[in-house]
Amino acid sequence: MSHAISVGDKLPEVVIGPFDCEALARYAEVSGDDNPLHLDDALAAKIGLAAPPVHGMKLLAAFEPMLAKWRKDLSLVGFSAKFIQPILRGETVRLSGRVLRASPDEIFIRLFAHGAARAPGIIGEATLRFLPSVSGTEAKAGAGRP
Amino acid sequence: MQIDAEKPDLPLDAPRNLGPFRLRVDPARAAAYARETGGDGSSVPLSYPALWLMEPALSAPVREICATLDAVPVHEAQSFAYETPLLSGESYDVRVLLRCEATPPRIVIDATISALDGATVARIETTLRLVPRAGLGAAP
Repeated sequence: MSHAISVGDKLPEVVIGPFDCEALARYAEVSGDDNPLHLDDALAAKIGLAAPPVHGMKLLAAFEPMLAKWRKDLSLVGFSAKFIQPILRGETVRLSGRVLRASPDEIFIRLFAHGAARAPGIIGEATLRFLPSVSGTEAKAGAGRP
Repeated sequence: MQIDAEKPDLPLDAPRNLGPFRLRVDPARAAAYARETGGDGSSVPLSYPALWLMEPALSAPVREICATLDAVPVHEAQSFAYETPLLSGESYDVRVLLRCEATPPRIVIDATISALDGATVARIETTLRLVPRAGLGAAP
């Protein structure tokens, strides 16, 4: 049985990466995003980066399985993000999140992706809705914990 | 991304409407993309339409602007808002409004995904910051 959801609840942190050249090249091929910035060390160096940045979408999309694993009674219906600073090839990435707002119908999650730097590389927000099969149960926001 | 670079001169054309383009959720590609982003491939990722934005018909105008300005596009922001989920194997109509912003130089791509009956399925916004190659300076 699922716990109720309260503002401030933290999602279990997920660690991904580090991603190497092959991983970035594979993502570029699958996604069609062949922006040379992600694959070209010299180009990355020209903008002062020690290594090419990981594709922002590769990192942002990694929140989807994290959110799906967190709660089976919720469905992700939207998410948005700002790419604040690059997370570089070779860095381990920590994905975290906490409940920002909770209503009986929707849950809003603040998302963070941290690479090696102290400041987050990505700050985002996800919107999740309760699946119809569990609506009206104690799993909803604000119904208290078991 | 914090980048100090000279601002390119941006062609401030009126926003451009592109499409509609009929695009399909390719099951094999959706599964491969899901695996590359940590998923198990059992459902279509919400971020799957990011792949459609790389289709030549949609990416060509962006490449054209970048080539004109000799600029590198840097992904600055992204959003996906869904009414109903995408279904693997289904086709959708995608309409795009592409506009440029001058300060700082950006391309903003607003895409609307509709089912073939016209119902809106999702809205997507992609913001690309344009960093001029000429202003990048020498390698450290």
